[in-house]
Amino acid sequence: MNRTPRLAAAATASTLTLALALTGCGRSDEAGTTADSSSTISEGPATGTVEVWAMGTEGELLPELAEQFEADNPDVTVNVTPVPWESSTEKINTAIATGEVPDVMQVGTTLMSGFVGLDGLAATPEDIDSAAFFPGAWDTTVVDGTSYGVPWYVETRVLYYRTDLAEEAGLEAPETWADLTAFAAGLQDAGADHGIALQTRGNSTALMYFPFYWQAGGEILDDAGEFTLDNEAQVKALEYYSSFMRDGLAPQVLVEDEKVQNFVDGKLGSFVSGPWERANLLTTAGDDFADKFGVVPLPADETTASFIGGSNLAVLADAANPDSAWKFVQFATDPATQVGWFGISNDLPAVQASWDDPALADDDAVAVYQDVLETARSTPAIPTWSEIEHEIDLIIEQVIAGDLSPEDAAAQMQEAATSIGTGLD
Amino acid sequence: MAAPTATVPSASVPSGTVPVRRTSARRRRTGLAAWGFALPFTVLFAVFMLVPVASSLYMAFTDMHGADLRTPLAVNFVGFDNFVEVLADPKFQQAAGNTLYFVGVAMPLTLAMALLLAVLLNSGLAWFRSVFRVGFYAPVVTSIVAVAVVWRFLLQPDFGLVNSLLGVIGIEGPRWLTDPVWAMPSLIMMATWRNVGYSMVILLAGLQGIPRDLYEASAIDGAGAVRQFRSITVPLLRPTLLFCAVITGIGYLQFFEEPFVMTQGGPLGATNSVAYEIFNQFGFGNYGLSAAMSYVLFIAIVILSYLQFRLLRTEK
Repeated sequence: MNRTPRLAAAATASTLTLALALTGCGRSDEAGTTADSSSTISEGPATGTVEVWAMGTEGELLPELAEQFEADNPDVTVNVTPVPWESSTEKINTAIATGEVPDVMQVGTTLMSGFVGLDGLAATPEDIDSAAFFPGAWDTTVVDGTSYGVPWYVETRVLYYRTDLAEEAGLEAPETWADLTAFAAGLQDAGADHGIALQTRGNSTALMYFPFYWQAGGEILDDAGEFTLDNEAQVKALEYYSSFMRDGLAPQVLVEDEKVQNFVDGKLGSFVSGPWERANLLTTAGDDFADKFGVVPLPADETTASFIGGSNLAVLADAANPDSAWKFVQFATDPATQVGWFGISNDLPAVQASWDDPALADDDAVAVYQDVLETARSTPAIPTWSEIEHEIDLIIEQVIAGDLSPEDAAAQMQEAATSIGTGLD
Repeated sequence: MAAPTATVPSASVPSGTVPVRRTSARRRRTGLAAWGFALPFTVLFAVFMLVPVASSLYMAFTDMHGADLRTPLAVNFVGFDNFVEVLADPKFQQAAGNTLYFVGVAMPLTLAMALLLAVLLNSGLAWFRSVFRVGFYAPVVTSIVAVAVVWRFLLQPDFGLVNSLLGVIGIEGPRWLTDPVWAMPSLIMMATWRNVGYSMVILLAGLQGIPRDLYEASAIDGAGAVRQFRSITVPLLRPTLLFCAVITGIGYLQFFEEPFVMTQGGPLGATNSVAYEIFNQFGFGNYGLSAAMSYVLFIAIVILSYLQFRLLRTEK
């Protein structure tokens, strides 16, 4: 039989590869290559071909914007490749690892640090003015002190509530934590099964919870970049957040799929969500439903805060046409283009000046976001954040279930975060 | 036609002069041809199987992270540290416990149900056999995403079909997917439903291979249905049962899709499985750690398969 020697040969071969691989291994002592000092964008129109990857709806709609850019710069061709969100991280990781990258890429605000960790993104040139953007949005581009992209569009979390129920209960929109508790109780008295819905478990629970922590005065990282999760604010916020479930004002376990329908049916008085939910509600309940709900900022405690998300535009470190790529980014984040893009996609502009445009300022359903965005913040841009967030999701779930006290939970969050580390050298 | 000279030297040698060299040359040629035929497979196997296996093994013994993707060789060799960390991790322990719970209940349940259905279909219902075969096999080939939507409706606590039916007989059903106690049984039900058709079809084929006259002879000797099942069906079906047990066991140890689409591993980690934890850790970029987890799972699969072979092998 030929089989045994052949297998043995194969085994030897793979052992050899392994041995070779092992001798070649070992981390070099240099800390991760530091970003090149920011360059500048040249004068004159863009030229050549600019490859752009964009995700989801943006990927479908971006060609419209690209046409405008091509009209301004006759010598440039913009190729937009839509990438589904679900497979985007793997696809981009592979692209960066092999060097077969586009010039410009849309990056979800919470994904920046991962690609920067791979040395995949180029540092933002000095020509881009950070002050033009909402500070929370700009922060998402900054990893370990250097910016690697430009905020493109933003989203933030607000309170949706049934105006008819609130009117019936004689309630004003809540402004403080105590108001919100009373508000939820009042909506419940007015006929809702639950006054409010807050995420109780699963991915992104932390993103709904952290605004309350920030409102209580908490910080995730201190100025020195150390985790500061075990403190009074954490205990207070956890106690407050879980009090809604404990006191029956919010579903003990929220089933995300049922939220919108329950709200439309009047079984749910209010919930926390982002700007996209308006379209969901109107598709589910019809356009007339617009009169029945209102949108207000989250309540304040020590301070006001919400979560800011959205996407940035980044130029790849290995981009073939970086200069024109930055020109495209500059164009896409120009205040006027941003207003135009809002018209195309309904994406909220990341540039503050765009909000003075009547298209946004005169639309009450949109204007409410401006104030919220000014103080909205993001989770830290560190490579390990998704793992830490996952641990925190699980801890919050245990607090809501009553299995863990807020004090122990705060200590566990701190321990989980410090043992995982920031992932920055 | 002139005989070729230089291109095929062995053919130009006059016959009978050097027989030994000629045979060895021919053998070498046959060997080369054989390798030629085997080459496409060998190359594909080496590139797409051996290299990934070797590199994942390498990964399991290093501290490789997501950020090392561009320089996969510039990582530190950490020996068995990853394995020690995995085994000491309470989340992994919970996931391992959940996986054992799932395999321990769902595998016997699936096999028993499959055997029961196969015997029923084999003994009667001849007219409807194809209909039932299709019916029970349909879940196997249906997309898990569609299945998940339907099952979420079925298990919905307030108006779902399961709890409505229980309500008819006066039982208040649990909150299936959100109760830490009931989440795993819900997924076991769903997985059994999804996979029973596969084993059933295989077992049905096995049953149809058992000669009728054995049953007739035993009936003449006075054996009842139960005795026939124990003394004829089960022993003769052993190899088929073994096959089903191994395939189902391997699939179930890699329990992933159900918690992924239904519960995200919750509530309170009650449906987190080893495969799901590996998926999560890969997502977080902890490549070394998750590769080590994969090998722990691999060893568990080897052990389970070995036990099944011991338990179900045909006596010689």
